[in-house]
Amino acid sequence: MNIFNSIQLSSSGPVCRDCTYFQNDPAVIEDAYRGLTVMSSGFASVRDQDGLCNYHQLYLSARDSCPAFAPAASEINQEQAR
Amino acid sequence: MTTSNTETVAVNKSSGWQEFWLKEDWWAVWLGLGIVLLAYVFYLNGSSISWIAVSPAKWSTLSQLGEQFSKNAVRYLALLGVFLILFTIVVSFIGQKPRAFIPSFIFVFILSTIIYAAGNWDQASKYNLEPPLVALVLGLIISNVIGLPRWLDAGFRVEFYIKLGIVLLGATLPFTLIIWAGPVAILQASIVSLVTFLVIFYTARKLGLDKRLAAVLGAGGAVCGVSASIAVAGAVRAKKEHPPIAISLVVFWAIILIFALPLVSRTLHLPTGVGGAWIGTSEFADAAGLAAAQSYGGLAGKNLGISGTAEQALASYTLIKVIGRDMWIGIWAFVLAFISVTVWERNETNSKVQVGQIWWRFPKFVIGFLIASVLTTLIVHGNTLADYNKIVKPSLIAPITSLRTWAFTFSFLSIGLTTRFRELANAGIKPFIAFTVGVIVNVILGYILSVLVFGHYWSSIVTH
Repeated sequence: MNIFNSIQLSSSGPVCRDCTYFQNDPAVIEDAYRGLTVMSSGFASVRDQDGLCNYHQLYLSARDSCPAFAPAASEINQEQAR
Repeated sequence: MTTSNTETVAVNKSSGWQEFWLKEDWWAVWLGLGIVLLAYVFYLNGSSISWIAVSPAKWSTLSQLGEQFSKNAVRYLALLGVFLILFTIVVSFIGQKPRAFIPSFIFVFILSTIIYAAGNWDQASKYNLEPPLVALVLGLIISNVIGLPRWLDAGFRVEFYIKLGIVLLGATLPFTLIIWAGPVAILQASIVSLVTFLVIFYTARKLGLDKRLAAVLGAGGAVCGVSASIAVAGAVRAKKEHPPIAISLVVFWAIILIFALPLVSRTLHLPTGVGGAWIGTSEFADAAGLAAAQSYGGLAGKNLGISGTAEQALASYTLIKVIGRDMWIGIWAFVLAFISVTVWERNETNSKVQVGQIWWRFPKFVIGFLIASVLTTLIVHGNTLADYNKIVKPSLIAPITSLRTWAFTFSFLSIGLTTRFRELANAGIKPFIAFTVGVIVNVILGYILSVLVFGHYWSSIVTH
């Protein structure tokens, strides 16, 4: 296995950030994870743009992707505008 | 979850540039460096920001204290006004409601003033009234016994206040100290972080816990507490229920260690620099560790047989914690994400690991801390020690130190005010055992390295 095949510099194609199942609003994350604000924050750099996937029930990066991607409303609107 | 998809998508669409005004880290940098530059401008003009950077002085009777407050009432109101304006701008930009923040922050400021003043009572040390511990206990009592409405949480921004305080702390630490002690801090912290992570991870695996949960717990105990857990959770695609388990365990142990580490250090009469290094190695979260380090530093020179200065405790703590541990969270996240992709099973997603997360997850407030240190080192450079003590310290360093103490007090109080024990998730016995084994190893190894191996080093660090 070539380990470099597992690394990339930036994401290409649809990513979780644009998916309808993905939520990464810091306020939503702080509300979902009570206790997060005691010693960290939803607005911290270390959290990057991570969020909750309501399809797989995971906490993951906004730059992630998966076969179940479903474009969010704004993405569909943009596609139609094009 | 009450946020609609439409609202969420709007937030989801954030670009890299927006980080500069959407993240608390960057706001801590802007405000912290802004304060340092303003202080320098005043200093250059033969003046000082000390009028606005008011703080309670030593007092022995209530009438003295009352006199202080009546004499400086306008200054305190002005300070509250400046903090309110600056912080309201911050919360507005990051997307919170100023209407909830303003009354909440006024509440925090009033309580912090009382705590700050109590700490300056000349009998305070006799009754163990160390301001960080008083702030924490008072906050815990208010939130867990009395109870507060949820909307008041808007002003309890533990992380933002502590990051602002750390940037200001950078302005009071010589950059030469960071260069001199940084490599030792990184070496010591790396040894403890790696050992602690591996102990928690393999104990968790032995107990049959999921690999990703084991990694999230390990990062929380080894790197920087809740922030590390949440960063690694995102990197390894943890299950939704994993982060709350780590949050509960980190908060539980961090609060115990806030009291335990200074108490044991005091019993062993550790020099403040050594005690700070131990706390920096064995505490998890920045705010919790700073509360412990500041309270231990406050015991110096009070006939307790503890040598060193309060600044040494903060300096050694910050070097180990910020330079030795916090800075490397992006690397930890990248390595664990890589392992999760190449070694562990991946069923749910098909992404590759992005090397950019080393930067994306970098705690940006560290940049402000380093720049602030460089700036003041350059400003102070060329002054004799006599000039430094007579001119630079009172007109430039002391006001910044005062504002730093305010920021830290807001944070310590907010830890207590946001810790609602009944709301923390039930971690379960297996995660508890795995994490606790890691805590024990961390504390023992931290003691060996801070006291026995590098003790001579940390006891002699120069902070001016």
